[in-house]
Amino acid sequence: MIKRKLILIMENKPGALVRVVGLFHQRGYNIETLHVDSVKDFSTYKDIEKKLETKFEDNQISRLTIETMVSDDLMRQILRQLNKLIDVIAVSNEETTYLKGVLLDENLL
Amino acid sequence: MQALHDEGVELIFGYPGGAALHIYDAIFRQDKIDHILVRHEQGATHAADGYSRATGKPGVVLVTSGPGATNAITGIATAFMDSIPMVVISGQVASHLIGTDAFQETDMIGVSRPIVKHSYTVFNAEEIPKIIKEAFYVATSGRPGPVVIDIPKDMTAPDNLFDYSYPEEARIRSYNPPIEPEQNQIDRAVEAILISKKPVIYAGGGAIASNAEKELLELNEIIDAPVTNTLMGLGIYPASHDRFLGMLGMHGTYQANMAMHNADLIIAIGARFDDRITNKPSKFAPNAKVVHLDVDHSSVSKIIEANVAVFGQVKNSLKLIKETLEKKLDSYDPFVLQPWHDQIKEWKSLHGLNYELYKDESDDHPILPQAVVQHVHEITNGEAYVTSDVGQHQMFAAQYYHFDKPRRWINSGGLGTMGFGLPAAMGVKLAFPKDEVVCITGEGSIQMCIQELSTCLQYNLPIKIININNEALGMVKQWQDMNYGGRHSESTYQNSLPDFIKLAESYGHVGIKITKNSDLSESLKKAFAMKDKLVFVDIYVDPSEHVYPMQVANGSLENMWLSKDEQT
Repeated sequence: MIKRKLILIMENKPGALVRVVGLFHQRGYNIETLHVDSVKDFSTYKDIEKKLETKFEDNQISRLTIETMVSDDLMRQILRQLNKLIDVIAVSNEETTYLKGVLLDENLL
Repeated sequence: MQALHDEGVELIFGYPGGAALHIYDAIFRQDKIDHILVRHEQGATHAADGYSRATGKPGVVLVTSGPGATNAITGIATAFMDSIPMVVISGQVASHLIGTDAFQETDMIGVSRPIVKHSYTVFNAEEIPKIIKEAFYVATSGRPGPVVIDIPKDMTAPDNLFDYSYPEEARIRSYNPPIEPEQNQIDRAVEAILISKKPVIYAGGGAIASNAEKELLELNEIIDAPVTNTLMGLGIYPASHDRFLGMLGMHGTYQANMAMHNADLIIAIGARFDDRITNKPSKFAPNAKVVHLDVDHSSVSKIIEANVAVFGQVKNSLKLIKETLEKKLDSYDPFVLQPWHDQIKEWKSLHGLNYELYKDESDDHPILPQAVVQHVHEITNGEAYVTSDVGQHQMFAAQYYHFDKPRRWINSGGLGTMGFGLPAAMGVKLAFPKDEVVCITGEGSIQMCIQELSTCLQYNLPIKIININNEALGMVKQWQDMNYGGRHSESTYQNSLPDFIKLAESYGHVGIKITKNSDLSESLKKAFAMKDKLVFVDIYVDPSEHVYPMQVANGSLENMWLSKDEQT
């Protein structure tokens, strides 16, 4: 088990963060660090906006950075479970990104 | 209420209370949606769940805040574990009181969070139509599941008016469940099918959720593989079909478990390799490649690694596999499967279940619970909707009632909720008043939601309750017999059971007691002949009977107990 970093972007709605954190707790994974910010600069998310045919606006989107200790297999399962949360738009580790049901072999976040 | 009507809702199950009173007043002042008043909120959720499983439409529940909401939790968890679409509307204390420990305040969103697909709180009344539209969309699409909408009382106040319009469609940019599979995944699945000599189709509840019975049957007309169903999948493939193996898993048939263990290809369709299926995952089907069709990414390769994953509505995936396979028929010869079919036939004749127990009507032995289920199957021509509770009777029903159609077998598979059967049967009966609805239960489970007998009287629901009474918590007792040296810790009631006949009569229903094997057939026929009455049939069965086959703990699928003293 090594420390791994996950990045998520999700809708900035009440209750969204607790769903993410709850998912870790429910399965017994410990969160080492957690950072949440409201996204102001969308320039790096142009690809995602295009793929989802949407336009992000101020205060709509949060960006989370989570560090956690897990194995490879668990990492994949965590990514998939996070991706399943309705408010999560995309979740990424260093190599892959889940963008709403679609697995992409690149780090979009 | 207008939004629910616009969504096409016809039936709501619920229980009123302070925080929901504005909504209940609106129910009183309309006549488009019927409301069924249950006796306990758990009953409302199970009834909505049963309605949903039988019809495929989402079940709708309305409860008040606090205890109303928390009483609904078991039913929500039941629906969540079995991926049943349900929308639960819970009243909440007025916005300005939230967080003050107000009367009947509970953080319903917080309490229900791990057991819902999604949840909503209404912060502005004008959001109600949009939230209801989204809630139904989320509950019914992708992998279905329950959705909670928490509505503070002031949001439904009559003076809180807004311009109403119901959205045409729900679009959630952060939610996009897969529908159409990708062709390259289909091609890989077809390749695996073409080279397989020992394939098994393993179909579960997801195939029923996707209404894929026709597609599955048509695909297997080409492949000609043996088919097994999970507890949740029973009915998706006709039980009377030659290629049907029966249920697999912990109490699955010998031939189904042997076929899975020895297969070279497992085609998993809307099934999730639950621990009651795989036994010890590291020993599971050692020679099999796995093709996994599912709508949920997180179900694939979770427990058993899939060699080919096909994401999409399994109905569409099956159709596309068939079309692709048809183009390559030249290179497929179903006759290569003949040795495999012969092998399965041998297994079946060796340790298959005895489906003719009911023919023995002698009084030399007590009533066998398996024979009860077989009688019910005979009398109802195998066409009844059968709900069950949880325990030995559930397994006997799953093994011995042969379901030829999907959505006829209604049980709590994932969560294993005792008390599910009776309220679920109410939901089914309300959806299909002309069809036979049977609740196969036990004296333990039925007492967990027995109060709903009153609801059955109010709405005249002539369900047949088959109470397989062994005067003990049978499945618990079986485990204690097998694993705990026969120490029956707290699994018997020491002569404290109610007189179920008087109990049924006190609710205005009919009760019939059966204690002798020779009476079984006649008395059951009499019960089913009373078409317009709820009949509670209390049947005293052999208390020492166990459910077999049973998987040997931590073994592979081929390690089974076949009887009390016989192991594979």
